Amino acid sequence: MPSCLFRTALVALLLAPAWVAAADPEIPAKPDPAEAIAALIDRHLTTDWAARRITPAPPSDDAEFVRRVYLDLIGRAPKVAETRAFLEDASPKKRQLLVERLLTMPGYASHFAAVTRQAWLPQTATNIQFVGSGIQFGNWLQRQFTVNTPADEVVRRVLTVKLTLNFQNPQFRFAQGDANDPDSQMIAGFYQANEVRPDNMGSAVSRLFLGVKLECAQCHDHPFAAYTRDQFWEFAAFFAEMNPLPATRPTFVGPIEPQADRNTLTIPNTDKRVIARFFDGTDPAWSAERTPREELARWLTAPDNEYFAPNLANRMWAHFFGIGLIDPVDEPGDNNPPSHPQLLHELGQAFAAAQFDNRVLIRGITRSQAYQLSSRLTHPTQTDSRRFARMNLKSLTPNQLFSSLVAATGHREPGYMRQNQFNLNPQPNNPRSQFLNRFASNEKATESNTTILQALMLMNGQFITDQTSLANSEVLAAIMDVPGWDTKQRIDALVLTVFARPATPEELEKFASYVDRGGATNSSKKALTDVFWVLLNSPEFLFNH
Amino acid sequence: MSQFDTRLDRRHLLRVGAVSTAVSMSGLLGKLALAAEASQSKPKRSCILLWMNGGPSTIDLWDLKPGHENGGPYKEIATTAPGLKIGEHLPKLARHGKNLAILRGMSTKEGDHARGSYLMRTGQLPGAAGIQYPSIGALVSKEIGDPRAEFPNFISIAPQRFFSQEAYGPGFLGPIYAPLIVGENQNFANPQGDGIDALLKVADLERPTSIDSASAAARLEMLRDIHDDFVSARPGQMAKSHSAAYERAIRLMQSEGGKVFDLTTESDRIREKYGRNLFGQGCLLARRLVEKGVPFVEVTLGNWDTHGQNFDLVKNLCGSLDAAWAALMDDLRDRGLLETTTIVWMGEFGRTPKINQAKGRDHYPNAWSTVLAGGGIKGGQAIGKTSADGTTVEERPTTTLDMLATLCLALGIDYEKTNPSNVGRPIRIVDKPAQPIKEVVA
Repeated sequence: MPSCLFRTALVALLLAPAWVAAADPEIPAKPDPAEAIAALIDRHLTTDWAARRITPAPPSDDAEFVRRVYLDLIGRAPKVAETRAFLEDASPKKRQLLVERLLTMPGYASHFAAVTRQAWLPQTATNIQFVGSGIQFGNWLQRQFTVNTPADEVVRRVLTVKLTLNFQNPQFRFAQGDANDPDSQMIAGFYQANEVRPDNMGSAVSRLFLGVKLECAQCHDHPFAAYTRDQFWEFAAFFAEMNPLPATRPTFVGPIEPQADRNTLTIPNTDKRVIARFFDGTDPAWSAERTPREELARWLTAPDNEYFAPNLANRMWAHFFGIGLIDPVDEPGDNNPPSHPQLLHELGQAFAAAQFDNRVLIRGITRSQAYQLSSRLTHPTQTDSRRFARMNLKSLTPNQLFSSLVAATGHREPGYMRQNQFNLNPQPNNPRSQFLNRFASNEKATESNTTILQALMLMNGQFITDQTSLANSEVLAAIMDVPGWDTKQRIDALVLTVFARPATPEELEKFASYVDRGGATNSSKKALTDVFWVLLNSPEFLFNH
Repeated sequence: MSQFDTRLDRRHLLRVGAVSTAVSMSGLLGKLALAAEASQSKPKRSCILLWMNGGPSTIDLWDLKPGHENGGPYKEIATTAPGLKIGEHLPKLARHGKNLAILRGMSTKEGDHARGSYLMRTGQLPGAAGIQYPSIGALVSKEIGDPRAEFPNFISIAPQRFFSQEAYGPGFLGPIYAPLIVGENQNFANPQGDGIDALLKVADLERPTSIDSASAAARLEMLRDIHDDFVSARPGQMAKSHSAAYERAIRLMQSEGGKVFDLTTESDRIREKYGRNLFGQGCLLARRLVEKGVPFVEVTLGNWDTHGQNFDLVKNLCGSLDAAWAALMDDLRDRGLLETTTIVWMGEFGRTPKINQAKGRDHYPNAWSTVLAGGGIKGGQAIGKTSADGTTVEERPTTTLDMLATLCLALGIDYEKTNPSNVGRPIRIVDKPAQPIKEVVA
């Protein structure tokens, strides 16, 4: 049984708000670039809705909003006290203030590091060879989100990091950072997870940082976009240093170029040598002062690079809406036009103008009308998810799911288990690792599928069984212990705990009558566990809506 | 609920079963009539993949080099097929020689466990993040499986996914085509006896003992209402998939079908015949699943990474392999299922003909063997030939694509058919330039 002391604390949490409005963090002083971003989103979407005769969904209520923004910003649903505090807060600016508060929580940096790592290096969650690299790089990302390093600076540091390359084992190329620079050692994980290969690095960098999937052109000219095989290898050649040098150097060496041959590679299975070149057809002004990777970083993050800022802004958009303004986010071209070209363009410009400050962009997006719409379909014109006329239903990442279960059940999870990011090898006594393993997915958040084994785990698995049992459940014990509550109040508290909203009158009626008649076993306490189980297994809990 | 909402809901309810999931939301957690109906329409073909994790020493199993210094101590033995000889530690399987087609010309490109597994199981080289290719089990079960079937169409028994989880996944086909995994050997445990029976069950299939059936029924009833309220207001593919997964999970829990995983109903004689080890009992489960019409079942036998003491280890592994595979062939034949069940035996690569100083063999993708057997396969022959020292392929070099295309032909699948992928480009079941070995296909 849970300790009495702990339960008393939980009772207190159920009853009292977690913080008071007076302790709100400061609102950024004007002029606020986030306001301008929200305004430009609203302007473009409103125009588009009017032109297409779309009736957008009504605004989300506070309960819908609080759950959504907790999930999107810190990677878990709110705890009951957090929900209650928000719902009871009378401040007209409380949504904005909540975002500010969440941005300062450690969960913000860890959630964004986790989703960024999953987007950039998905192989590090599933391939045992890359796990260590993923952890290293993820830790570095978490630090960058904590101190709010600008997004362009993050990319610049990744591209220009000092590396020592080791080719002694032909099966396994090895990249190490500078021994005196811990950051570089962590960033090296990005290269290691790409097997320290020019082709892998070239395709990753163009896809992740420019939103252009060049690798289809790796073997043949791109079927739909205007990229050729040569262009792919020219781009990969910025990482040509990651090919081992030929065993014997040519005997004749002409005039020495600034880069010697560190910007040149041979297309595999051909005799063709290519020199590093940007895929817009321009060349760096090669100089002995700058390495090919430094040249690439300069071009890529330059203010006039037409791919960079829109790509980063679009990826952030997709984080919050589940679908990018270009979607897939990395396949520009005639057959994948942006849904709102002008909005995408201006969003990129605004992000660049805000010095690529992630938090400004997040504030802007979360203040927009579209982000705050309900997810309920209320009019047939709202069905096209790319018009953002209602909030898209999004799946939870495995970590979001488990962290939300922790928040809803009061399960006390040791810190080291929370750090688990690797879904390959579930450990018997670590429920998070078992959820990560069972719920691993590389699908888009708006198109993910549920598997039979996932449903079975939620219905019959050890964790949910324990957490909904009378003997173990902290939350149920606390709810049953609140003095003076009638059954409906207990049901309402349970619904608030799991769904982050008050129960509807119908739910109150139905569940209370079930509990009052003792459920199926003539025990109202056991009947309450049934209700808890039902709530945890319902899609309202299992999706971000 | 407004007039409008009601209309919308009804229209949605009617449409929801139409796509791949073929269940109606109103039926969620409710009637289970579908299960009975589905079991009538068994797929015509099945495939069993025997996956040899770690890279099997095929030079000691299928393509021996007696008399050559690379050959090692093993002898060849005759099989029931004239002229076809295999390693001496597969005597029971030798009796099925007429059903075996040995591909001795395998020549592949990957000598790393993760990359080799991915290549052999998807037909594709692993690239950087980008296209996620489906495993052969997902591809085949999509073609010959019935989405309404009582059982999942792809079941993976005792997989060891630590080398490459992607190599086992449904890739761009999506989790609907993901394998139902049973008996995953998570922590290198070596289960015995009852431990094997427990491991080979579907995880979490059984209702917790603390919940009686009346409460369970009441829970599902309440869940149905609250589920329908939520998803009817937020229709879409994700909600459908979610409903379908719950429906199929509940169907499996409540139907008799779940009993197929209970091996204790088999006689001791049969269980001994397959071998009382995880692979043996896994093959027995595979036979039971094929009997129920499951189109793709794979069973993993691991520990083939014999860098040292190769000959002792391989002899030992052959004990498990020979008994289980031969028993599987016997049982399928006796039940009239061998003509419709194609068996494929492979690992991620072969092993070096040259024996190293630790009496081991190392990774070797350049020249090795795989085996096809049973339905759709013209057995009793070896295709392809390696050099006298076993290091190179001299006749009919066979790529992974060639082998997978051959398997598809044997199963009656058009391997040139395409699926939409996650990169917008349609991708063939088996990519170009696959050249199936037609002389192996019956």
